[in-house]
Amino acid sequence: MQADSGVEVVDLSKNYGSVVALKSVSFKIRSGQYFVLLGPSGGGKTTLLRLIGGFMRPSSGNILFHDQDLTSLPPNERPTSMVFQSYALFPHMTVEKNISYGLKLRKLPKTETASKVGRALELVGLKGLNDRMPHELSGGQQQRVQLARSLVLESDVLLLDEPLASLDAKLRKEMCLELKRLQEQVGITFIHVTHNQEEAMTIADRIAIIAGGELIEEGSPRDIYERPQKQFTAGFIGDNNLFEGTVMGQVGSDVKVDLGYARIEVPARESIITEGEEVSVSVRSELLQLVDPDDDSLNRIPATYVEEVYLGLTTSHLVRLSNGTEVVIRQVSEDEGFSKFSSGQEVKIGWQKSSARLHPD
Amino acid sequence: MLDEHGKAWSYRAKWAYLLFVVFVLLLPVFYIIYISFNEHGFGAAIYEFTVDWYRVVLGDRMLVASLEWTAYLAVGAVASAVPLGLLAAKFCKSSRNKVPFVTLMLMPLFVPADIMGSSLLVFFKNLNGFFEWLSDSLGVTWFYGWFELGFLTALIGQIVYTLPYAFIVILITMSRYRVQQTEAARSCGATAWQAFRDVEFPQIRAGVFSACAFVTILSFNEATRTALLKGGFDTFQNVLVSQMLNIGMSGESYAMAGIMSVIPMVVIGSILIITLIRSDRLERVARAKAAAVMSN
Amino acid sequence: MIRGGQDVPTSPNLWRRFVGDNGLQKWVFYLPALFMLLFSIVPLALTVVWSVFERTTFWMEPGFTLFAYESFFTSARAENYLFSMIHSSWAVVISFIIGFPIAVFVRRRIPQVAQHRVILLFILPFMISELVRVFAMRPVLGRHGLINNLLIEIGIINEPISIILFSPIGVVIGDVMSFLPFMVFAGFLAMEAVQKYVFEVCDDLGARAVHTFRDVIIPLAAPGIFAGGVFIFVNSLGVGLVPTILGGPGAVNAGLIVNQAIVAVDFPLAMAISTIMIVTMVLLLYLGHRLFDLTKILEPIQ
Repeated sequence: MQADSGVEVVDLSKNYGSVVALKSVSFKIRSGQYFVLLGPSGGGKTTLLRLIGGFMRPSSGNILFHDQDLTSLPPNERPTSMVFQSYALFPHMTVEKNISYGLKLRKLPKTETASKVGRALELVGLKGLNDRMPHELSGGQQQRVQLARSLVLESDVLLLDEPLASLDAKLRKEMCLELKRLQEQVGITFIHVTHNQEEAMTIADRIAIIAGGELIEEGSPRDIYERPQKQFTAGFIGDNNLFEGTVMGQVGSDVKVDLGYARIEVPARESIITEGEEVSVSVRSELLQLVDPDDDSLNRIPATYVEEVYLGLTTSHLVRLSNGTEVVIRQVSEDEGFSKFSSGQEVKIGWQKSSARLHPD
Repeated sequence: MLDEHGKAWSYRAKWAYLLFVVFVLLLPVFYIIYISFNEHGFGAAIYEFTVDWYRVVLGDRMLVASLEWTAYLAVGAVASAVPLGLLAAKFCKSSRNKVPFVTLMLMPLFVPADIMGSSLLVFFKNLNGFFEWLSDSLGVTWFYGWFELGFLTALIGQIVYTLPYAFIVILITMSRYRVQQTEAARSCGATAWQAFRDVEFPQIRAGVFSACAFVTILSFNEATRTALLKGGFDTFQNVLVSQMLNIGMSGESYAMAGIMSVIPMVVIGSILIITLIRSDRLERVARAKAAAVMSN
Repeated sequence: MIRGGQDVPTSPNLWRRFVGDNGLQKWVFYLPALFMLLFSIVPLALTVVWSVFERTTFWMEPGFTLFAYESFFTSARAENYLFSMIHSSWAVVISFIIGFPIAVFVRRRIPQVAQHRVILLFILPFMISELVRVFAMRPVLGRHGLINNLLIEIGIINEPISIILFSPIGVVIGDVMSFLPFMVFAGFLAMEAVQKYVFEVCDDLGARAVHTFRDVIIPLAAPGIFAGGVFIFVNSLGVGLVPTILGGPGAVNAGLIVNQAIVAVDFPLAMAISTIMIVTMVLLLYLGHRLFDLTKILEPIQ
């Protein structure tokens, strides 16, 4: 039997009465992967994680660990352990007792427990804090203790429910990298839920976008960022501009799309489209350019300049199209005092044909 | 702006009013205790301090036996109402639509003792009749006399009375407990019971003990329901009532009333003292906690 | 559907779904509800049924007769019932006047942390047996009791007054003494619905205390006040102890009539009066819910 599919979710659904929290979600996670469930708040990613952990029972569907169906098992019988967002350390126990709790339940001899706890503390960088109480620790330290508590159990899968959400931005960045390092060191599967894009891009081997209770798209960070398939993904990840229009026909390997105020050509790639279909087209803001107003080649649209926003590393140019749509063009900041454009000026935006992506739904 | 000086004055006046009302509420009881120590009983011109009346009461076998019954009922009530209240609180916390359940649990608060007691009385008598018929027709004597009026029926009456209070007290304590703790424990490999025993209970212990104290006192002070449902035995309160209404109030009666008042006051007093000491210690811990995190 | 050599169930069967993954453990949590239903709701519901049974010498026969109701309404008992309702109403009003301002004061002027402890002061009298508390009113209100002695000493009266004991006034006083703490609790809970800032806003607007009270506090605290009022009303109607001890000969309330009926082994009558009381309570609560939405009281718990 292949131990390849560490975790597999098959047609998983969860309803609360008439409210659908999850609808027929299916995907596979390889053993040892850092898998991230990314999506907007309330979109179902936490529900999905909790179902995998066994804290809820699905309305239908199955959850498999190493090809074994464990859907009906409670959390303490699954090969998973969970790290929570906050308030999950046992406040009446010391750090040592917290971490050793699971081992104590397994009736491990004291010496073995002590050495495991010690190793776990070293792993998360909290050596020597055995006798502290949770309320004496900072937020970051508390999360590390939670990690230690879960890792010491040597489960196959570690579940993380927005573990960095209650930390401040700088701490979050540090912990993020540490989590990645930890996972590589320990080698088990991590399933991490977050709504923060940057976090997801930093640590994930693979990302699954969950929104509205559905699995929208799945892929490596690069796939998701550079080659989003669905319109939602394009709108959610990165800084994409979306244009909506109707298919006019196919020209070779390209599709002609009528936006109303302009006509553009987009590579078809794997999409199967029909004439007259409503589609959207996305172009990343860093792949758009402000071109010469006399440039009449393909994929050029006239616009009115609105304003320039300086963000340090990048500068964003906001322009407005004839139908009111706002478009953002991002570029690495140039030297100061070099504002080429003024508000209200007529400009033209453009992009290379291969930079655009077609979203048939 | 209101006159600051005037405000302080009205504040004190309102405090005085509050304390006065509490004093008036407690006055009759203290007056009774005062009388119970008087050699010559109530209404006498002279006052001579004595504990004789108490000696008489505690020396009377029948009265002491009735005190025992009171104690048995109290223990039974605590052993039943508190776990039930705990289960109810957990059930309530984990259910989505709480209103119908809470209404069911709190409804007995609005039914006065006489009504509830009478209804239960008739209910049990009917139940007995039904079981008699059942065992006669089936030829089995197993459930014969299950609900004969006696200790069990009186106990059930008390549980119906005290369960809502236990429920509320524990529910309020639990509102501060975070469910993630139990989930984290489950995640560590604990069964539902182990998670409760090791993680949840230590944190709600104070509330559970308060509920125990509350139920004890309520049971101890309850008279009407018990009177209706008890069957053969007599509790301390029953004896007191019959004395009060039939024989008239003797020095013993006052001593009995005194005993009945002192015990609950001692219980509450000690709880208040313990919780005050506890909360002082907790405040110190909390202050240390705040300082530690700040310096991080 | 077979996967990896193992049969995969598509959804948990009915028993599992009812009982949960931990097996029979889940049924334990239904116990409290079951208990309350069985020993509280069922007997009360059956009370209505039993009230139409026919009376026999020592028990009753299943049947349908309104005899018990007839005998109640045509006897002096109905009058007494109505009078006792008046007394109970007085008890509610007096308790409100005395007790509610205390609740407002505690909520408004006392720091948050100490509030619960102060309210606990009012648990003290509640903790002492209802029996003793009511019983204790006798030596206080009697002809040779505390009040009379005090009044004579101060010189307000020359002869002891006997109207305050063994009379309706005695009953009302007894009810107030017994149930005042509940009004304070209910008022306090009701006031939880009024946030501190409301007071500050009123002060800023320069509203006089009376206006603040009437237009702001009462509407917001209405559900709690009403619930407290119903509680006192129903209990003073139904607790037979108070009129027995303080009311004097012939003084009754609903609870006492029920008690007497049981002692007289007239069960259908007892059940009939109980039914009337239960119906009164349900009606009041329903009315209050329609007017004020009593579920708001439960919000602090949610």
